[in-house]
Amino acid sequence: MIIEPRMLGSQKLLGAPLHRLSGHTHRHIVRAWLMAASVMGLIGIVLYGRAALWVLLTCVAAAVGVDTICSLLSRNRTPGRTERAALTGLLLGLTFPATIPWAVATFGAVVSILIGQVVFQGTLQPALVGRVVAQFVFSGYLSLGGALAYSPVLTPGHVLMGDIRSAERVADYRGWIESQESTTFEAYELERPVQILRRFAVSQVEPDGDLRYTPLIRDLLPPWEDTIFGVVPGGIGETCTVGLIIVGLYLIHRGFLRWQLPLTVLASAAFALSILPVEIARDYRWFPALEFEQDRAVGMAYILYHLTSGQLMLTAFLLAGDVTASPMRVHGQILYAAGIGVIAVFMRLYGVLDGECYWAVLIMNAFVTTIDRQIRRPVLGT
Amino acid sequence: MSLLSRYLGPKQAFEGGLFLPDQKAEYARQPIETLPVDGPLHVPLSHMADWSVEPVVRVGDRVLHGSLLSEPSGSAGLPVHSPVSGRVTAFSRAWTPYDGLVPCVTIEPDERNEVLSSRHGFENESVIVQLARHGVMCQSPRAALHEYLHAAIARGVGDLIINAMETEPYLAADLRTVVEEPGRIVDTACELADALGVVRAIIAVPFRHRRVVRRLNSEAEGRGVEIVALADVYPQCSPVLLVKSLLDREIPPGGAPLDVGVVVLPLSSIRSAAHALLDDRPVTHAVMTVAGDAIRQPGVFRVAIGTPIERLANRLGLASPMHQVVFGGPLTGVSVDNLSTVVTSECTGALFFKSRESVSPVPCIRCGWCVEDCPIGIAPTDFLKSESRSAASAMVLLQADACID
Repeated sequence: MIIEPRMLGSQKLLGAPLHRLSGHTHRHIVRAWLMAASVMGLIGIVLYGRAALWVLLTCVAAAVGVDTICSLLSRNRTPGRTERAALTGLLLGLTFPATIPWAVATFGAVVSILIGQVVFQGTLQPALVGRVVAQFVFSGYLSLGGALAYSPVLTPGHVLMGDIRSAERVADYRGWIESQESTTFEAYELERPVQILRRFAVSQVEPDGDLRYTPLIRDLLPPWEDTIFGVVPGGIGETCTVGLIIVGLYLIHRGFLRWQLPLTVLASAAFALSILPVEIARDYRWFPALEFEQDRAVGMAYILYHLTSGQLMLTAFLLAGDVTASPMRVHGQILYAAGIGVIAVFMRLYGVLDGECYWAVLIMNAFVTTIDRQIRRPVLGT
Repeated sequence: MSLLSRYLGPKQAFEGGLFLPDQKAEYARQPIETLPVDGPLHVPLSHMADWSVEPVVRVGDRVLHGSLLSEPSGSAGLPVHSPVSGRVTAFSRAWTPYDGLVPCVTIEPDERNEVLSSRHGFENESVIVQLARHGVMCQSPRAALHEYLHAAIARGVGDLIINAMETEPYLAADLRTVVEEPGRIVDTACELADALGVVRAIIAVPFRHRRVVRRLNSEAEGRGVEIVALADVYPQCSPVLLVKSLLDREIPPGGAPLDVGVVVLPLSSIRSAAHALLDDRPVTHAVMTVAGDAIRQPGVFRVAIGTPIERLANRLGLASPMHQVVFGGPLTGVSVDNLSTVVTSECTGALFFKSRESVSPVPCIRCGWCVEDCPIGIAPTDFLKSESRSAASAMVLLQADACID
């Protein structure tokens, strides 16, 4: 809609004619995001093989197809609409594990567009709307509370071209590179790090004498550098922390994501994790960050594992910062991001639902209107 | 640059604003050059379209540089003087950038450029009478400078701010003026401060030009004029934000600096006033930036009033066919589509561009940068919610009034 001055009863011409422009339009924003998401998609294809490629392609194709049908039916051909649908499909694909069948991917993409984009107009992050609805409908494939505890990741010798369905559980898993000789299959089947951390939070990991955190870090979790490079099982775009930080920095550099938002998501999550108690041997211990065992800062390691083991990084850098679904001002975004971090940690430690970070984003999306109304600048001179 | 300026530079008194690419480095070091007159001039007989004027010359008269061409016939108005010596050949109408068609007189220059000797050099006149006699205009607000000063005295102002913040891209005329004649600017500021009877006189200059600030400081030492360096963020040149930054007073929406007891004068008026007060010469030339990507030799020039922009562009070398001419800055200026538009005393810049840039309206995606960057806190997204006047809430109407652009 173009504002005409007489509509508002002001003699002033609103929006003086700017003769020189920066050249940036909303299409540039969507394209930059699409580029960032594509990089994560490529990394996912390297880590999870052809299956990941098919999931991503199905999501994008279904999203673009449904969006095209909608735009034809409603005769609403907004420029940039197709790019936005593709971005939604791609982000949705990044949250899925590579092992899901095509029907789940298609269903998620259709729901994302029809409900997230058309009905809610993007006020809830549309990709996540599709993700959580698919999680309910196909709870066998997308764990609704730990049903998908084990999932595969390709071995070092079979990245990119390997078949993720040829997977085997490795009895004595020592790390992605180190365990290469112990399997003849193309993929390891491992317990997802997030799942291990959730089990730990509800006292399902037995302490080793006085040592409470050491068994978790020494015996169960993969090496920390594996979670940094993403060679652990999980969603297609969830695991590779390095890649997510790089694409996030790219978006920040372009000015299409404010640095305060991902930083606050991670900082608030770390803050909540360092305080909230963990149940170990029927004993609630507050302030896990302060735990030391055998002169090792195991509490800090525990928090770092939480931050890098999946979902939280993807949420912080790509999902939470969606321009339409997040608050408009920086102060509002900080509040929103803090909410996401704390709710995600709460749900991870004490909740039963899987995909806790996605739920946290959707919950905070519901508060965006309120946040925007509260965080308002006073007009100069009033 | 922006991050460094934001944290190491002077404190900014308002949120938002933009650090724009300023585009002036190419010619900001060249001195102001006077362009000789090389063709007939169409001098507008009136500075503003609603002033009634009476010409005092007839067709065939010979005029000198500085001789009177027209006088105001009503109570409001300013006299107009000839920028060149020559012969009056016709009376017609000319396009001006801010007023449209106004009556003009065409002067065919003779190459001699004889200057009318100053008659009033030793007369004991007040500052305000001298400004009126020499035809000094004020650009913002658009008024005769002496009338604006009268209004200011009647309202009882306490502060005078001289606005040398040229934060729009391309424009460099004010910067060159401060570099070349800092002493005259300070002298004139003192004169005007005395005439107004203000308590404080402040010259606001961009923080980035440190040497200019230092030079002005040394000129102003002990003169009762303060030099304040402000951040180079874009709408800092707006009077509303200057008053907020320098005096921490907020002008109510739709109001003027006079409402809070401040006079804000643009540096271009001070430049003309210096000419009138210190040299006793009428305003016959405009100091303006001629730039843009279609011009081969951009720079700051002293251009005779009444020069058609087409001749100006041809003289400075048109690199390619131009598609847009903007008078003033690229963000707040006016675009003209008539190449016979003439330069008036209010022109501070003429920008010639190869292409015309525009955006087609697209739906808002709530990226929020407009809300963040607006210097006075308007939320443009609120306007989208009010599709009709009845739906526009009081708050939205208030915001519309508060807009400074």
